[in-house]
Amino acid sequence: MTALLSTEEVVVRFGVLQAVSQASIEVHAGRVTGLIGPNGAGKTTCFNVITGLQEPTSGRVRFDGADITGRSPSKRARLGIARTFQKLEVFGSLSARENIMVAAEQRRAWDRSGFDPATVTQEILDKVGLADVSEFMVGTLPTGTARLVELARALATNPRLLLLDEASSGLTEEETEEMAVLLRRLVAEDGLGILLVEHDMSFVMGICEFIYVLDFGRVIASGTPAEVQANPAVQAAYLGTETVEEAS
Amino acid sequence: MRLKFSPRLISAVIVALIVVFIGHQNWGQASVSGQTIATFLVVGIALGGVYAISAAGLVVTYATTGIFNFAQAAIGCFLAFCYWQLTIKWGVPVLLAIAIVLLLIAPAIGITLDRVIMRRLRDAALVVQLMVTVGLMLTFMGITLTIWTPKSPRSVPHFFEGTKGVQIGDVIATWHRIITVAIALLVAVALRFLLYRTRLGISMRAVVDSRNLAGLTGAKSSVISGASWSLGCMTAGLAGILIAPETGLVVENLALVIVVAAAAAAIAQLKSLPMVFIGGLIIGLTEGFTSVFLNFGTDWNYAPQAIPCVILFIALLFLPQARLETGKVRLTKRTERLTRPWEAALGGAVMIVLVGAWANGWIPWISGTTFGQRSAVWLGRGVGFMIVGLIMLSLVPLIGWAGQVSFANYAIAGVGAVLFSHWGGPSGNPLGIVAVMAVCAPLGLLIALPALRLKGLYLALATLAFAEFTDKVIVRHPKMISPTATGVLFKPMDIFGIHISSDAADRKAFVIFLAITFALLFFMLELMRRSRWARRWIAMSDSPAASATIGINLTTTKMAVFMLSGAMAGFAGCMLGLSQGALRVDSFPMFIGLPLVLLLAVQGVRYPVAAFMGLIGLASFPALSEVLGNPTWLTQVSLIGPGIAAIAMAYRPEGAVFYSGRDLAGLLPWRADAREEKALLDQRTRDQDIGRDEINDLGLTRSFTREKVAQLDRVLSIADAVDEHPMVTGVSR
Repeated sequence: MTALLSTEEVVVRFGVLQAVSQASIEVHAGRVTGLIGPNGAGKTTCFNVITGLQEPTSGRVRFDGADITGRSPSKRARLGIARTFQKLEVFGSLSARENIMVAAEQRRAWDRSGFDPATVTQEILDKVGLADVSEFMVGTLPTGTARLVELARALATNPRLLLLDEASSGLTEEETEEMAVLLRRLVAEDGLGILLVEHDMSFVMGICEFIYVLDFGRVIASGTPAEVQANPAVQAAYLGTETVEEAS
Repeated sequence: MRLKFSPRLISAVIVALIVVFIGHQNWGQASVSGQTIATFLVVGIALGGVYAISAAGLVVTYATTGIFNFAQAAIGCFLAFCYWQLTIKWGVPVLLAIAIVLLLIAPAIGITLDRVIMRRLRDAALVVQLMVTVGLMLTFMGITLTIWTPKSPRSVPHFFEGTKGVQIGDVIATWHRIITVAIALLVAVALRFLLYRTRLGISMRAVVDSRNLAGLTGAKSSVISGASWSLGCMTAGLAGILIAPETGLVVENLALVIVVAAAAAAIAQLKSLPMVFIGGLIIGLTEGFTSVFLNFGTDWNYAPQAIPCVILFIALLFLPQARLETGKVRLTKRTERLTRPWEAALGGAVMIVLVGAWANGWIPWISGTTFGQRSAVWLGRGVGFMIVGLIMLSLVPLIGWAGQVSFANYAIAGVGAVLFSHWGGPSGNPLGIVAVMAVCAPLGLLIALPALRLKGLYLALATLAFAEFTDKVIVRHPKMISPTATGVLFKPMDIFGIHISSDAADRKAFVIFLAITFALLFFMLELMRRSRWARRWIAMSDSPAASATIGINLTTTKMAVFMLSGAMAGFAGCMLGLSQGALRVDSFPMFIGLPLVLLLAVQGVRYPVAAFMGLIGLASFPALSEVLGNPTWLTQVSLIGPGIAAIAMAYRPEGAVFYSGRDLAGLLPWRADAREEKALLDQRTRDQDIGRDEINDLGLTRSFTREKVAQLDRVLSIADAVDEHPMVTGVSR
């Protein structure tokens, strides 16, 4: 099975600091892939490289077989890459409905299937569970809810690859569980490929089929959750024994 | 640097062609000899030195506080007048006077500004930051004009006036100029030392990179911002004192040094101090070169004054592309819902009725006053106010929705008026208006081209440069406005059955016609706010990065809003021309663009109704003045008005319309939603009871609620594990 997305030896350098060094990861359609690592390990930079917000110093990004390195963020969105942000990037002065609507309307520029943006927006509002707050301006919503707005907005572009940067931060435990259910549905029913950056270990271990561990910009381990947890390099560098026990 | 076939290249070629054309047209008779070159160097280097000092102050404040201070040169002007007062009026020795001005008054102004206003602006929207300093600029100009009324000319003597100076070849460099250059070098070295070698300076620079991080190292942000504002004021004062003997002690001249300083600062990308001095030199030398070698005929009489603007424009072409930044989203707590179409229609009708009732003298309680008697003068003013309102309306989608701060719309209207005097105006053909709008739309775009890929501040500077260029070069060319033409340029017109012309008898009809057009455009904008275009513009303004990742092409999206705004300004320009009858070359000063945006921003730049409130506000000063019998104190208040507006904006960034609208909406019987949402918001504000300041220092976007604290503990258990990891020195992990 060829990967939906692959990065090949991506390097990002800011001056003397190497934020990402030769990171090669693959994301497959129909499953959730995790990207974990301590703060500053280069996870968000990886996301920025994949979505085109950050030019890599060297290395390639392939999506669906095609080399997309150097393409603009908006072109990548048209190919089917969508993301959420670690620090909220919602459209705070638009209502939740409008946030999603913008994305749905934009999708008409490349998706000629003749869908109605208003209908799609309503469907997504229901799916993500935002129907009750749809008319509120997003700037007034609590962080957790605003995160859902970001997710909903990403979904409105009808992506094939969804990048979620700390999807569960700011959510209550109950909301986190709902999020997990939603992500599983997206993967199983719509066949999306999801790449997840996450600090909540139980969430990551529970939902991901495959995990990459990043430290100092390098992939220090990869494998199934069980393999990653058993990996001594990972334990030493990052997780600490306690957290692993708690998660398993 | 990549120069592909890009907007950047197109604008570079256009600018180069214009410069070469103007240079070729105006090559003077001065031979290129040792003497002329020496003259040009002496003049140029001295000018460059002053510009560099002023620009260095701009860069220091911008780099350490993130605020571009439009008031820089106006503060310098005020301080130069203080210096004049001390030395000439009170006979204080020169050195003592300089010490008082630069070491006492300047820091006092800087610290006060920082305390009262600037600290509140850290995370404010760009338009708010800019408009506050524009308001301050107008205030300092107003205060200076009030204290030192420009009845008699004042002048500051050169240093060592009367002495001969130093002979270089056949050219004499006066001591004043030599001192100027020496001081500029001294300032450069001193600033460099301060920023790189002292503890205070290093913290000042650290603050720019990361305010939160600098806070952790023990740097006190209050001391730092106070210091940088003082430093800014001191350099401003120094530049003002040095340049005043050259330009004369005239408020306008001194305050508009800001354009030059901005150009030098743009060359330095608003951060590099050595480049500031090179930028200052480039501008000074170009001006020196022009004055020595070029002989501008009457056609291009004012072109030399536009040199800094042209250089600013060129500098923008060479700036590197701005990165799409993330993590900069400001979330304002605003409760609002979209205006329903019927509400907008009702609002438009109310506007027509209000203006119509005034124009017809139906408002009883003011009809006894001069203002209410609808004299021809007052109806003429009414026409003017309505046109200003139209221009403000054109700014709402551009600045309010798309977040593109432009000072050029008054200039575009000016170009529109001029074009209309050629096309359609003389024959009374309404199609001329359409033609003018069709030209003004891409004109709006042309201004924006070099700045589309840059961050918002540069766009504002580019529009300011364009406005100055229009004023000094375009409209003053005799082919544009003929200085010899007399009489009325525009034939009366009949639109919608209303007879409009510059004739005094038609003014009532004109006011009503403009009220109807205003109301229609207002209604159109309100409908547009509900459209996908407005949504896209607002999305782009709220988060450019997120907009790009959902597939929005930022360049074309920006281009669309510039064209809409340009066309609207072009229409207002036609009305301006038609109402004035004849056009004067000095009718479109660049300067007007600034208070115009301020007037709208104070009311609330996102809301079309703010344009109406703005024009009412504008009218209220002369109206009140007449009602009260023209007291002088009111004139003085009106000079300081912009400052009050500036302070108001720092405390109420969303604009008056928003705050009053929010409270009023709850009173309307059909707005149960507003009452509910306000209650919810109040509740949420009460929930956030953990120290707001500490939370801001942590760099979090919002405060915790109690339920979140429990969750935070969970996250922290992981964060503890992370902390054991060794830190990379100097890098935030």
